[in-house]
Amino acid sequence: MTYLFQILNGLGLGMLYFLLAVGLSIIFGLLQFVNFAHGAFYLLGAYLAYEGVERGLSFWVAMPLAALVVAGLAALTERLLLRRVYQLPHTFHILVTVGLALVVQELVIIVWGPLGGNVAPPEELSGVLILGDFVYPEYRLFVIGFTALLAAGLWWLLDRTRLGAIVRAGSESPANMALLGYDTLRINTAVFALGAGLAGLAGALAAPIRGVEPFMGVEALGIAFVVVVIGGMGSYAGALAAGLLVGIAQSLMATLWPEGARLVIYLGMAGIIMAMPRGLFGRA
Amino acid sequence: MVPLLDRPLVQFGLALAAVLVLPLVMRSGTLASEILIYGLAVAACNLLLGYTGLLSFGQGIFFGLGSYVAGLGLVRAGLPAPVMLLLSLALGALVAAAVGWVSIRRQGVYFVMLTLAFSQMFYFLAYTFSGLTGGDNGLLDIPRPRLAGTVLADPWTYYAFVAVLFLGLFAALQRVALSTFGRTLLAIRDNEGRAGAIGYPVRAFKVAAFAISGAVTAFAGALHAMLIGVAPLSNIDYHTSETLLIMTIIGGSANLFASLLGAGAYLLAADALSAIWPRWLLLLGLLLIVITLFLQRGLWGLIEHAVALVTRAPPVDDPAPDRPVVTAPEVAPAPEALPGAETGRAPEVAR
Repeated sequence: MTYLFQILNGLGLGMLYFLLAVGLSIIFGLLQFVNFAHGAFYLLGAYLAYEGVERGLSFWVAMPLAALVVAGLAALTERLLLRRVYQLPHTFHILVTVGLALVVQELVIIVWGPLGGNVAPPEELSGVLILGDFVYPEYRLFVIGFTALLAAGLWWLLDRTRLGAIVRAGSESPANMALLGYDTLRINTAVFALGAGLAGLAGALAAPIRGVEPFMGVEALGIAFVVVVIGGMGSYAGALAAGLLVGIAQSLMATLWPEGARLVIYLGMAGIIMAMPRGLFGRA
Repeated sequence: MVPLLDRPLVQFGLALAAVLVLPLVMRSGTLASEILIYGLAVAACNLLLGYTGLLSFGQGIFFGLGSYVAGLGLVRAGLPAPVMLLLSLALGALVAAAVGWVSIRRQGVYFVMLTLAFSQMFYFLAYTFSGLTGGDNGLLDIPRPRLAGTVLADPWTYYAFVAVLFLGLFAALQRVALSTFGRTLLAIRDNEGRAGAIGYPVRAFKVAAFAISGAVTAFAGALHAMLIGVAPLSNIDYHTSETLLIMTIIGGSANLFASLLGAGAYLLAADALSAIWPRWLLLLGLLLIVITLFLQRGLWGLIEHAVALVTRAPPVDDPAPDRPVVTAPEVAPAPEALPGAETGRAPEVAR
């Protein structure tokens, strides 16, 4: 029974990892840009949701609002700063986003303090679900369901709509898109905002589960990289499968060998890379 | 014609001058030793980033490894410090070769993410096996080395010990960079496909670069543990890797003295700023953004510029410090991809 509990926990965790990783993945796919500030957007989403709830907003308002504000800030950053560094070598993509992540993290500490805090789940979901012997927090069930809907919506957006077609075509050949008359600069901004907004949403959703603290961004970045490496960069299915795999593995390990939970994740990643250098779903 | 500042003797002379000047201008021997130790680790990082074009987030693994090796040997096994320093060199090379061998299976961004994931893996290894590493507390009570019967307890005495080793390894790294091997690394950095087509075993060269870099980094880590008397968990964590990379880029890539400059500038600024404002990392973040936008060749590029102004020599051609690692040519034609920049780089490879 504890295993079922942990697997459900892992599902919720894994879906959040998926949201993080898929944002990272589409930003990289279109912009060829490694975003080391991705964890910072997650951090910001969590803190904005925290602030919203503290100020008396309902979680149902604070959560989407946090994601939207993060997306807006990301769009602004892309336009004012990142756009200037696209043509530089990758070293500088990493340097500038590492710098950005530091700035965000320190600003969070300045504004909210170094200690962090807790976010109460929304009242409607603050209870537990009881099925026989089985007790499970309702909020976590909601996260699983909500993120599953979101994942389906995202798949629809990227695979079935015109915007998705543009994004995928842009990943293949930005020069051709520009030749066809698409405003690639605006598409870049939109995609960066979408990816960052997903990270922000993951942060806001995670806040009632794990609370908020200033260093959650760094941790999330590491996990997002692992998920992308295991799943294969640029693969939606890979991000989903690897996200769930990592989430469930981490939850199961939390009962089996708590101290080694993280270690096992990274060892597993090394093993998968040895066997399949492109990741589970990676393209050539 | 090799630019004056890039000549090996001038570079070594600058390093020697720095080693001699630090005791005259600095009050803290500990901080001065730290500058040399980090300078060494940063020079090793530069061998990968600047010379081979490999941006690795794994340098902290080797730095931390060196600290633990020194700590375990000195505290638990009671072995003499020289043995532990040599052992840290050997183990650093070994682990770095292994990490490198797996990581270079992927290129560009994937490579970067793999090294980052490895750095996390080793961090959690150290965290999980706390019986060996002391976990969160680190390995405590690491003694200073003994030389001719005296313990190098005084900060400046230890500084002298570090300085001699620093100069030796700095010269060794210079030899590596100037050798045919080092030149081939530059060729790999500039055009991996071509280097492979000519017949160089590119992978073996990259693994070798990793091994040398890891050995020197672990050595620096061991010196650091003896300096502060602890092998802390933080020496092996992601931030150490990140800091070493930042120091490398602040200094300037593909130039060994620039690495000492980067380490010194970072540590002195950190020391001064952290005393004034606990949130100084905010300024560091802003600095990184400014460097990316305006100072891509680092402090060394600034110095080259100043020297060019003074000697009225034609300004150094400004090639970007390193090549785009993965950017496909059709993604934004980079200015450094223009023929002019190619010629600016050519003599460096040819000499």
